[in-house]
Amino acid sequence: MTSDGRALELAERAWRAAEADEADAVVQVEESGFARFAGSEVHQPTLISDETITLRVVRGGRVGCAVTNRTDDEGLRETARRAAEAADSAPPDPGYPGLQPPSAVPDVSGYDEETAALTPEEQAAAAAQAIEASPEYGLYGYFTSGVTETAVASSTGHAVSQRMTDASVLAIAASDDSSGYAEATSWKTGDLDPAACAREAAEKAARTRGATEIAPGTHAAVLEPYAFSELLWYFGFSSLGALSCLEGRSYLSGRLGERLFDESFTLVDDGLDPEGMPKAFDLEGVPKQRVTIVEDGVTKDVVWDRRTAKRAADGHESTGHALSAPAQGFGPLPLNLSVRGGDVPAAELPERVGDGIYVTRLHYLGVVDPREGIITGMTRDGTFKIEGGKVTKPLVNLRFTTSFPKLVEDILGLSEEVVLVNRSDFYDERYPFGTRVPAVATNAFTIVSTGSGPGL
Amino acid sequence: MATAAGAGYADARAVTRRAQHVATKNGEVESVSDGETEGIGVRVLVEGAWGFACDRRLSDEGAQDAAQRAVAFARASAGRAGRRAVELVPAPAETGEYRTPAKRDPVDVPLSEKVELCLRAEGAMKHEDVKITEATLRAQREHRAFRSSEGADVYQEFVECGGGIDALAIRDGRVQLRSYPSAHGGSSSQSGWEYVEGLDLPGQAPRVGEEAAALLRADPCPSGTTTVVLDSEQMVLQVHESVGHPTELDRVYGTEAAYAGTSFLKPGDLGSLRYGSDLMNITADSTTPGGLGTFAFDDEGVPAGRQPVVETGVLRGFLSSRETASMIGAGHGGSMRADGWSRMPLVRMTNLHLEPGEGSFEDVLGDVDDGIFMCTNKSWSIDDKRLNFQFGTQIAWEIKSGALGRMLRDATYMGVTPVFWSGLDAVAGPDEWELYGLTNCGKGQPGQHAHVSHGTSAGRFRNVQVGVRDV
Repeated sequence: MTSDGRALELAERAWRAAEADEADAVVQVEESGFARFAGSEVHQPTLISDETITLRVVRGGRVGCAVTNRTDDEGLRETARRAAEAADSAPPDPGYPGLQPPSAVPDVSGYDEETAALTPEEQAAAAAQAIEASPEYGLYGYFTSGVTETAVASSTGHAVSQRMTDASVLAIAASDDSSGYAEATSWKTGDLDPAACAREAAEKAARTRGATEIAPGTHAAVLEPYAFSELLWYFGFSSLGALSCLEGRSYLSGRLGERLFDESFTLVDDGLDPEGMPKAFDLEGVPKQRVTIVEDGVTKDVVWDRRTAKRAADGHESTGHALSAPAQGFGPLPLNLSVRGGDVPAAELPERVGDGIYVTRLHYLGVVDPREGIITGMTRDGTFKIEGGKVTKPLVNLRFTTSFPKLVEDILGLSEEVVLVNRSDFYDERYPFGTRVPAVATNAFTIVSTGSGPGL
Repeated sequence: MATAAGAGYADARAVTRRAQHVATKNGEVESVSDGETEGIGVRVLVEGAWGFACDRRLSDEGAQDAAQRAVAFARASAGRAGRRAVELVPAPAETGEYRTPAKRDPVDVPLSEKVELCLRAEGAMKHEDVKITEATLRAQREHRAFRSSEGADVYQEFVECGGGIDALAIRDGRVQLRSYPSAHGGSSSQSGWEYVEGLDLPGQAPRVGEEAAALLRADPCPSGTTTVVLDSEQMVLQVHESVGHPTELDRVYGTEAAYAGTSFLKPGDLGSLRYGSDLMNITADSTTPGGLGTFAFDDEGVPAGRQPVVETGVLRGFLSSRETASMIGAGHGGSMRADGWSRMPLVRMTNLHLEPGEGSFEDVLGDVDDGIFMCTNKSWSIDDKRLNFQFGTQIAWEIKSGALGRMLRDATYMGVTPVFWSGLDAVAGPDEWELYGLTNCGKGQPGQHAHVSHGTSAGRFRNVQVGVRDV
């Protein structure tokens, strides 16, 4: 378990080791456990303990970064030397926006003692709960929980830190010819019921045997939150950050202020929402702001970091969406997307569709054309036909190549229920995030071919 | 420590990694970073169940803590009675050392030289319609020590480097991208800096810029079924996604089902499944000079080697670990790789090649009356069993009567893996064979990046569905 203040103390020591005009340090501390299972047996149980320091220095207008996980004085001195060498190797950076001045950050939730205290034995037991709840199917997935601490400190006197917890359970119940999917995530492990998640997956799997095909074409469809979340995330990272918008690569480039989507569609990025994965600040220490991206179908804004705000020079300020310094070439990203729920019970959404398809989740998405918001991928682990407003026969996995903007331009209904869906694949340093979305019924989901049946 | 705590088998990897990255954009430095990470990962088998724990401290205390935690997690994870006990195929206790042959250590090349090269390459892409130019370079050095309770004792030092350039042309709401030598961050090699110098990024840059601009005025790729010729770079993606991943034996046994997916292949397909045409020969080779998947020993201490995966169109081998080789009763592992010290080894591609055929690129085009030549990956997606795929390329040209015609934009093609490979009726010869290295292969939970290489020549496929997109 991380100790309160450890990260901030490290960040202070790190920037003070720098020989620079100004410097900031971001520290990410992680203690996590991952009980990954397949065929109802845990096969990749992984315990991770790490501390990562990213030091950014500015010398004569030149910016350089160094990263380390050596936290002793010698390690910090060596990191400072490498950061200085990196800065000295570059010409002055005219786009450098300066470091965040001292500023208060919002008081957010997101830390749960019970979650932080979970032992490896308890993490394994949570995985076992899921496995035991699906005796009729092999279960594939994981239970994971972690406690992380992020701190930013700089020569401007800015110093902020946040401890966070997260827990997720993911379950695919599968046999050779059937499969179902469910997941749940929260910053409080008490919100999760691994057994219920496994049962949801198993119940879904039981309905997928005997899958048939459907003709390609544009169909009306219901997308469960798992599926809608993934489409939204791919659209988000390609179109909802200020850099892609400024560069003309985004679907929203030149289209801000226009009514582009159905009036029921309101989209925000809200790192402060206690129902999400709350963040007080971004990875350059800027306080998180709630950003309205689409309101009643009208595009309003995208998310910003300090560099893009300076570049725009139109009054925009950072909204607290920066990545860590070495990754800022991607621009700011919306890591806490949230779609306003609608007025339809999720179970009634198929009635809005009439005849169409029902999609549980998606697999391996790719952005075909970011400027037009066209995304391809496959459905998986629970695709069904909707006939006469009812979910009926199972379908094989379907390849879609569809326009996300058209999908939310032609909404037939949004569920009352809004669900937090994990979006982290846990690469590199643990930094939990997710989207909160309802299920959606749409008139425009384009299938281009059929694939294999459900199951392993 | 681990065996004293009850492990029947234990191995440990101590890893230090130094990674530099330089990125410039539109004539300015976007990022110069120099990172390092170090730690130890301990993997154990307790009563037939795996456990893994890691610690960033490269010290006796860090190693002991990791070992104890790994044993405790394995014991807790063993679960219900009657579970399958993990068995490993026997392996000799290897000892040895390996170092990447390199004339010039890429990490020792001054960062200022890397910045200068990026800026010079970028500057050469200038064109009126090219609004964004980018150049990236990377250099990495990794020391990896491996020991096991069976007596293996291996030390290896790897250096890698690579890079690429991108030109983004934008006009009237249309956006087109060209990259060299490869998309998605360029190409890398396990070599000295001489590899980067050989890429000649500044020399290739004018062509890249001009092609990006020309794409703005190109016609869209038509839809239909036709003959497709893939260049060697797009063939890399084709091999990686539709042969590499499905032949990973852990996927065949379902252990990747929760994330990357499974495979359409079954263990019983070995030696009999018709994967493609007679011209399809795929080899896994962890000894390829310059390959990102080249080593002397994998992360289980198994020696490197070369093995057929597909021979004359028939499945002949899987990528395996000691555990999965034991399960299938064939092979001896040799494809286990971990991303650094903080992740458990998984079955990964090493270097997976499409063996060259005969003749020149012109010979491959020669028999095409009407078709499309597609180059450089732009988008990719494939289903969980690695059957149904849709890939897009940055640029294409129509082929008419054996010669290239007009340029085409927004090209995509779609297929089903064994059907698609059965349409392979020409592979260019050894003179056209090129080795590419990619660093973004994702797998595992928690996620791991693998660095893998593929050598390929251009290939010709008949009866391919092209131009599939929602418009």
